[in-house]
Amino acid sequence: MAVYKRKYNPYTGSLTPEQSRFFVLTRYAFADLFKSRAFVLLLILALVPTLFYAGYIFLANNTMAQMLLRTHGNGFGVDTEFFMILVIVQTQVAFLLNCWVGPVLISGDLTNGALPLFLSRPFSRPEYVLGKLAVLALLLSAVTWIPGLLLFGLQSGLAADGWFWSHLWMTIPLVSCCAIWILMLSFISLAVSAWVKMRIVATGVIFISFFIPAGLGEIYNGIMGTYWGHLLNFTYLLRVMVTKGFGDPEQFTNPRLAPEIPSVAGWLVMILVCVFAMFVLNIRLRAREVVRG
Amino acid sequence: MMNPTIELDGLEVQLGGRTILQGLTGVLKSRAIGLLGPNGAGKSTLINTLLGFHAPSKGGARVFGLDSHTNGRSLRSLVGYMPENDAFISKMSGVRFVRYMAELSGLPPDQAMERAHEAFVYVGLGEARYRPVGTYSLGMKQLAKLAQAIAHGPKLLILDEPTNGMDPPARKRLIELICEIRETGDICLLLSSHLLRDVEDTCDEVLILRNGRIASICNLVEERRANRKFLEMETFGAEESFTATLESLGCECAVFGNGRIKVVMPDGVEIREVFKVAADRGVQIRRMNHRRDSLEDIFLNAMEQTGVADGRL
Repeated sequence: MAVYKRKYNPYTGSLTPEQSRFFVLTRYAFADLFKSRAFVLLLILALVPTLFYAGYIFLANNTMAQMLLRTHGNGFGVDTEFFMILVIVQTQVAFLLNCWVGPVLISGDLTNGALPLFLSRPFSRPEYVLGKLAVLALLLSAVTWIPGLLLFGLQSGLAADGWFWSHLWMTIPLVSCCAIWILMLSFISLAVSAWVKMRIVATGVIFISFFIPAGLGEIYNGIMGTYWGHLLNFTYLLRVMVTKGFGDPEQFTNPRLAPEIPSVAGWLVMILVCVFAMFVLNIRLRAREVVRG
Repeated sequence: MMNPTIELDGLEVQLGGRTILQGLTGVLKSRAIGLLGPNGAGKSTLINTLLGFHAPSKGGARVFGLDSHTNGRSLRSLVGYMPENDAFISKMSGVRFVRYMAELSGLPPDQAMERAHEAFVYVGLGEARYRPVGTYSLGMKQLAKLAQAIAHGPKLLILDEPTNGMDPPARKRLIELICEIRETGDICLLLSSHLLRDVEDTCDEVLILRNGRIASICNLVEERRANRKFLEMETFGAEESFTATLESLGCECAVFGNGRIKVVMPDGVEIREVFKVAADRGVQIRRMNHRRDSLEDIFLNAMEQTGVADGRL
């Protein structure tokens, strides 16, 4: 079917592996995202704190720099608390990034009924979701646990011998807390994107899905005199999970955090939210055509 | 031995508690199959079932011997689908959209790009390929949908109402394209349309649905071949000897008023022999037609047989 011949010919060439075909969606979504200057700016801003963390680690491990600043080592320390703050700050940055990127991922395909075209190929609905999920998972990972691990590596390289082995355990809460948060954010965004076409409205719905339940939880706590309403506050749950994951260091204990909420409850709630979002996606992502008449 | 294109084996599909397709059974062997039926007959449901979007509640359907439900993925790798409704990503340029779809069908990126350009030029949208699909006219969107359906070189092209919303020249061009694609011999065609002429122009076999049941399966090629032996004539001066001579050649004749004669010719008798007899007997043949059951006749018959008096689409 060469252009100049204007004749239809069948395709006889090679095919890409089926298992990795969902990455086509991811690749095209990233290509579209990077066309937006606003997105590039937001991504750069999301990575700026990492530079500050890196600078801080450098200062904390450089006596010469400390002498120049005349701090004599006071106030500089890279420990559990440092990485806890890193996780909490970067997960909130990830939330903002997710609010920008997530709403457009599926709605663009649904607005003009392109979904049957995707699913009429050797391509399943789970693969479709996986392809879209990979966009958010990669992007949010790039601003949360990946810089976290890089900073951990930087600190290990600059710190005295033995720091790496004595703090290696921190990588587990660092990665796992970020991972569940990213998964939950991504699923919520995809579910909202599947139902709400307008970006601004979808972004609003994502915000609402975080703040309204939190508010309702507070009301419940106020009325019932309990703390279980916090289970509806995802940000709060993340703090509980991070704090307990990092061994609940005394210096970081926040008096506002209810100690009674077990970390496992946070994990369960976030997994349940993911399951619910999958259910919502399952309802919405159908290949069938609307039959007119 | 080559598998039939489509086999339906007591296919029943229920959606929302309603039985949409009711025990469809039939074998369609032609390379170009038309799907006809009034609104709500189950055409789109049948197409969706063949694509594996709906699970049969009973029976099954096979395309090229592959079960639509259990081998859906393998089957879809052989299919190019042009849906009835709008199906595009509005902000993408036409060629990028087709490339995207081709890559999802498994083509490597460079091959997908090449085929996308070729497909776009082939359907006649070469000049518009870098424009966002959302800015296309309705006819152009139809052509873009066709381009994405053929870019990956499918074995079966499923076209659901392909000429919807097209003006007559665009429709003619699309039908020509479909015929051209069919003539390559590398691709089978399943075309669903409300326009009988579209089906008549492009298909060899027709499946007519009515209320989720098969009203008729008709092989248009055989029908056309049979009709070639059926003559309708208007004559002047014909006497009994004329029809008697034709009958002696093995023809069956029916004489009506005003010199109108219908003749069914057996194999081996050619039209020139009819002219020869007429010349010998001094009979003027003022008009002669091959009687040709149009698809409309076939469709209306099918509708009448299933209890629809007016047979309207």
